Amino acid sequence: MKKLKSVKDLKQFQKALLAERKGIKKSVAVCEGTGCHAYRSSAVADAFVKEIEKRGLEKEIGVRRTGCHGFCERGPMAKIFPEKIFYFQVKPEDVAEIVESTLLKNKLVEKLLFFDDKTGKHCAYQHEIPFYKLQNSVVFGNNFMINPREIEDYITVGGYSALAKALSGMTPEEVLEEIKKADLRGRGGGGFPAGVKWETTRNAPGEPKYVIVNADEGDPGAYMDRSVLEGNPHSVLEGLMLGAYAIGSDQGFVYVRQEYTNAIENLPVAIAQAKQLGLLGDNILGSGFSFDVTIHQGAGAFVSGESSALMTAIEGRVGEPRPKYTRTAVKGVWDKPSNLNNVETWANVPLIINNGSDWFRSLGTEGSKGTKIFSLVGKVKYTGLVEVPMGLTLRQIVYDIGGGIRGDKKFKAVQTGGPSGGCIPEQFLDLPVDFDELSKVGSMMGSGGMIVMDEETCMVDVAKYFTNFLADESCGKCIPCREGLRQMRRILRNITEGKGKEADLGVLEEVGDFLKEVSLCALGQTAANPVLSTLEYFRSEYEAHVLHKQCPARVCQSLIVFSIDPLKCSACGTCRKQCPTDAISGDKKLVHIIDQSKCIKCGTCFQVCPTRFSAVDKLPGGPAPEPVAYGTKAVQKSKGGN
Amino acid sequence: MDKTKSRIVGVRVNKEQETMLSQLQKKSKLTKSELLLKGLETLAEYYSADDGAEQQEEMQTALQRLEKEAMSHMVSLKKIRRKEEAIREFVREIRKVDEIIDRHGCKASMLIQILLDVQKQNNWLSKSALVWISERLKVPMTRIMQVASFYTMFSLAPQGRQTVQVCLGTACHVRGANELLTRTQSVLNLKPGETDPELKHTLKTVNCLGCCALGPVVTVGGAYHSNPSVAQLKELVEEHE
Repeated sequence: MKKLKSVKDLKQFQKALLAERKGIKKSVAVCEGTGCHAYRSSAVADAFVKEIEKRGLEKEIGVRRTGCHGFCERGPMAKIFPEKIFYFQVKPEDVAEIVESTLLKNKLVEKLLFFDDKTGKHCAYQHEIPFYKLQNSVVFGNNFMINPREIEDYITVGGYSALAKALSGMTPEEVLEEIKKADLRGRGGGGFPAGVKWETTRNAPGEPKYVIVNADEGDPGAYMDRSVLEGNPHSVLEGLMLGAYAIGSDQGFVYVRQEYTNAIENLPVAIAQAKQLGLLGDNILGSGFSFDVTIHQGAGAFVSGESSALMTAIEGRVGEPRPKYTRTAVKGVWDKPSNLNNVETWANVPLIINNGSDWFRSLGTEGSKGTKIFSLVGKVKYTGLVEVPMGLTLRQIVYDIGGGIRGDKKFKAVQTGGPSGGCIPEQFLDLPVDFDELSKVGSMMGSGGMIVMDEETCMVDVAKYFTNFLADESCGKCIPCREGLRQMRRILRNITEGKGKEADLGVLEEVGDFLKEVSLCALGQTAANPVLSTLEYFRSEYEAHVLHKQCPARVCQSLIVFSIDPLKCSACGTCRKQCPTDAISGDKKLVHIIDQSKCIKCGTCFQVCPTRFSAVDKLPGGPAPEPVAYGTKAVQKSKGGN
Repeated sequence: MDKTKSRIVGVRVNKEQETMLSQLQKKSKLTKSELLLKGLETLAEYYSADDGAEQQEEMQTALQRLEKEAMSHMVSLKKIRRKEEAIREFVREIRKVDEIIDRHGCKASMLIQILLDVQKQNNWLSKSALVWISERLKVPMTRIMQVASFYTMFSLAPQGRQTVQVCLGTACHVRGANELLTRTQSVLNLKPGETDPELKHTLKTVNCLGCCALGPVVTVGGAYHSNPSVAQLKELVEEHE
């Protein structure tokens, strides 16, 4: 690769690339994001390459291994261009048929299309599929077009043109002004205006200045930053460089979670390719602007995603937060002015520079502009990543895009904002989703995790889950967070084990309010949110645990009881053979019985009992019904059971 | 003739014999003790053909004594070799750690990155490696231990060859990660964080693997599996042994 020495060089390079690819009439994009990869999508991509080679069509049909396409529920996915036909759950065996029918004869392969059970129709094209219909993928959309390991792909779709535009025709002040005008708010959770933050760092005394990408996406159940970073790393790098140009920095860091193996592999490749082309390094595109990036890996600590903690970790010390009397924008890494933004925020920057702040302001609500990627997971029918303009309602996201609740069960709550957020009950489903609205009901938008819960989710258990998580992840530096969470965890554990007292609920509220007031960093200040919001909206569930020693959602393992209905049991023996503790006794034609003293409540019997019998009952609380005497003959016959 | 005698492998020899031995040794490329044993073998063959019973007996005791001496020397040689091997192994480990340190420019700010790479290579952080890192980076051992014990990625004890990770992210949690964890525990007979004594498996829990659509998820040797049953888990674990 030749170094690009000017903006003209870049434009010519893009032109040459486009000319080179002119012959390719059709292409297949196979998702190799983490979700699809787990479904063995690489084998599908290999099959496409092989099949196309076999037919000698390499010059006409391209195969792209891309990042995440969002609809992870139905992986592995392949998207056919230019028609934008989506095929789901593609197996290597299906590839020959897709090539033969769709790529050569323009015919659809119906069995791999999305089937909409509401309309009873197959949907082939992106604009027809309910999951994609309401989405507006401005940040995420290029993932389909790009192999993250090939910078040429990014350049052909107009990559680095925002950088070229800024370096050739805008002063740093103009870039900063554009971001400020766009009112881009930080996508990491806080929602702080990025432009204001940039300006603080720019005006802060001290050299050098640093710019940082926060890719320590620690919220469990959220993976949009990962998908942007591993699917389109150059867009983040370009945004970072624009920020550096506006702020006056020549050194950047990307702090990425060690768990994100794919991103950690793709990022150095992207940086190396950008350096080769002269888009990173000294005197970029002949403008005199120089910039370099270093990757730092996290080592597994939630609190390290907090800005001051992250900066301490970059210095090679334990990632603990410090009091922020002076903001990190003024005194950050090695006490130098440091501007930190999250992955999605940076990825928005090139779009704003290219399309202008007015375009960006045309999306979203009054207080929150642009789009936001959410990770829609949990008990929702269509799990995946969705990018929507701010201001869509929760109902639209959960029901129209997500297809509603799995198994058409009853909706209970949606948890947003990760461990710092709260649970939003059904009555607020029509709330428009943006930074300000969600905080009004005791939750927050956070980085964009949306965990949908149905009637089978126990809210006390969810509160315990988050408190447990936070108590483990608290760094222990400030006492309210360390000790407060420990006590809350103890009380919640007691409640879920049936040892709760009535006074416990009051104590939980008191400790929660205290944490909010006096903790050192955001982790502690927001740690009580999951408990306080569930206490507010789902108090009756807490009371059932405390007063009746029952878990209405049948989740808390210490309270629930498994028993076998003697009238339904067909003595097929499936549960007896699979029980890990041999707690089930019975024989051929004899009703099976669970020995409650041996049962560890793993749920295996409930899971494996054939649905045509459904003889295993999960009860909200004890005592278990008196079992029938051993030797009782089964009434049901096990037809074809083993 | 020179009367001064020296000892070779515990046997007295004169100058002439010594030169002869060293010549033989050069030709045959054997160690001194091996050469001696060879000589004894030849002698034994020669004398076993002789009829003089008394002489033979005398010879035999002498031979046995010599053989014993030679053997004991071999044993101590072996011991030295084993020690050498242990030291060499240690040096090899340190050299690899050195490579990692140099790759990161021997900077104290890269401490976490260095520890991550060492952990990845050895599967754990040995004390010798940590002491060496402390020496090279001029970072006190207390700070290294603070970092090594703070992050969940680091382990200060050897890990199993195969890691089994159960995801406890929120999405997996609401879809039954706890039940999956109970099942995995009973199959491996381990609690989270534990390694079996034969170092086959380590069971870990993780906060989110980012493939929430598959939840609840367990990874065995890096491959993702969606909500396997007890029977499937047993198969997966055996497959990877």
